[in-house]
Amino acid sequence: MTLLLVAAGALVALGAGVATGARSARAASLGALASLVFVPFVADPLPEIPVGLFRIVAGVLAAFLLLVAGRRATDESASPLGLPATLATAAAAFVAGLGATAVGLPSFGPSAAVGAGLACLAVALPPVIRARDAFRLGIALVVLANAGLLLRTGLSGASPALEVLVGGAALVALAAAILALAGMAVTATGALTIPGGAVERRRPPA
Amino acid sequence: MSLFPFLAVATLGAALAVALRGRRRAGTLAGFAGVAAALLALVLTVPGEPLQLGGVAVAMTPYARVLLGVGLAGGLLVLAVSRLATWEATGPATLLVAASGLAVALGVGGAIPGLLAVGATSALAAAVALAHPATPLRVRALARELRGATLAMAIGILAVSLAPEAIGGLAVQPQVAGLALVAAGLALGHRFGAIPLHARVARLSDAAPASVLPVLLALLPAGWAVVLLGWAPDTLGPAAPVIGWDGTVLVIVGLATLVLGTFAALIQDDLLRIVAYTVVLDAGVVVLGFSSLDPAGREAVRAWLVPFVASRAALVGWVVAFRAGFGTARLSEARGWLRRAPTLGVSLIAIGAATVGWPGMLVWDARLAALQAASAGPALAVATIASLGTAVAIARILGTGFGRPLPRVAAAPGELARVPAGLRAAARALRNPGGKRTATLRAASNEVRPLLEMNRTPLRALLVVILAGLALMAASGAFGIGDAAAGPDLPVATPVTSLPAP
Repeated sequence: MTLLLVAAGALVALGAGVATGARSARAASLGALASLVFVPFVADPLPEIPVGLFRIVAGVLAAFLLLVAGRRATDESASPLGLPATLATAAAAFVAGLGATAVGLPSFGPSAAVGAGLACLAVALPPVIRARDAFRLGIALVVLANAGLLLRTGLSGASPALEVLVGGAALVALAAAILALAGMAVTATGALTIPGGAVERRRPPA
Repeated sequence: MSLFPFLAVATLGAALAVALRGRRRAGTLAGFAGVAAALLALVLTVPGEPLQLGGVAVAMTPYARVLLGVGLAGGLLVLAVSRLATWEATGPATLLVAASGLAVALGVGGAIPGLLAVGATSALAAAVALAHPATPLRVRALARELRGATLAMAIGILAVSLAPEAIGGLAVQPQVAGLALVAAGLALGHRFGAIPLHARVARLSDAAPASVLPVLLALLPAGWAVVLLGWAPDTLGPAAPVIGWDGTVLVIVGLATLVLGTFAALIQDDLLRIVAYTVVLDAGVVVLGFSSLDPAGREAVRAWLVPFVASRAALVGWVVAFRAGFGTARLSEARGWLRRAPTLGVSLIAIGAATVGWPGMLVWDARLAALQAASAGPALAVATIASLGTAVAIARILGTGFGRPLPRVAAAPGELARVPAGLRAAARALRNPGGKRTATLRAASNEVRPLLEMNRTPLRALLVVILAGLALMAASGAFGIGDAAAGPDLPVATPVTSLPAP
């Protein structure tokens, strides 16, 4: 495990924390960008240059689509945990992942990937479960998919080129679907709200 | 011909259909032409001919070709039935997005790329299907669908990562194998709508246009099943004897899904809900076949999935035709429908036969083999009886067709073809040797639209008959389904480096 791997993993974890914890939609999109762009560097050996570049471009495109989806996002829809607590969660999960292989977790890949994957998973799951805002839900879903890919690298070893390509394309497709969801929510409700949440059920319209 | 022409045609067709979805005539033309062209390209694709992508070969397997072919043909017929009733703009694009995505998912070797492709395809197809027009119900359904697809994809990737194909089955620790089995089984159960994860199926049947339901409820879940079945029996199978209670959990989920799904299908009043719950109860067959970790069970489920896709398309097409004919999809409002629509009645009987089959038929034998692979004794008896639930639900629909028709039903248009008076006059004039043929033919051409308008009901009935025929053919094992299902998957893509010791 090299310092570069740990640094890249930490940046991915930090980006995931900012993406799911920031109040501003622009900051959240930038966090997602960092989380997606540094992923190819959390692998040992690194992917071939064209494959890695494809993954980076796919990450930039996915983050851009999320940025567009969040144009109407408000600060009120952000995580109630706040940025510091979310970052602390990401850091704790990253460190736990780094140490997990030392205490017996069977792993064929770099510990940094396990750590970054766990960090993404830890910060993405709460908004995936409870978010009632299309942008916050969407950004959490992209971070969750990224978590799956990172944990795959950490547990099973370096991914074949085809897998990296399909993974990049899948992230872009997911971001496009989220953009569609955000557009639908704006058309149907005038905001990014997903109707039919627990709060609305408790207080039905008069 | 490699996979490329099919992918190009399907992707281009989907883009055109999305772009033209607001224009009724152009959208219909582009959508139907796109689906037909994709079907033709699929027929011309040679299984096994590789397409180089990322240094690895992607190819169409015989099984993927037959599954996609039946899905596309069934979907095209449902779209035609639907177009004769109303204009559901997103239908063709959804079908094409799903077909192209599934071609990639089933054409790449290995479970992880397959899961990524099928997960992304599920999300994208749902977005295309539900995006237009935007309503609060659809926003909610799409959010649920995106959540479900991404979670299932992430859980599936985690499960496969715990026991990757490359390390071989016997190297997997029993506890890890059990965890991976439960995780992948629940992801698969969620995509199919297994109880208690069945809410998505019911919500989709409420929110989505009927013409996309064969794709969202049958074809895409079948893709998930094929991908996960390609991994589990080979990798986890050798460890199956030492897996503890984990396998039992899935067997219980499968049995509960079969039994409770049957009850749920029998208490619904809405026909689309009934179809949705028949999908739910059939999820039990898939979960049980998956939980067996037996290659024989895998082959059985793979063979069963093709008639499943065909019969669900036929059922949805039947409901669309019924709803258009009688103006309702509620059973309680359609008593006596059989007198006004005997062709639909015969089609429904044929669809029921294709759904359940009888001994010696592929659909019956494959379903029984899947159940036998996972259960024995009383559990097998319960599973076998409960798996006939779809036939019972169809019998209930048929049962309401008897009796005195309600006024709404009695007023519905019949299934007999009618000819406009102008066309009859033109035919008489053509038989007259002294008539003006050119003027008569021109006058007759003006009667084509009235002819179509007057015969929408018989045309829909005819298309449903063809759908039922397709379902029966698939159920009896036509198109080489049995051989294709027993054929091998593509080899797993070679990793960049061989796996080192942990």
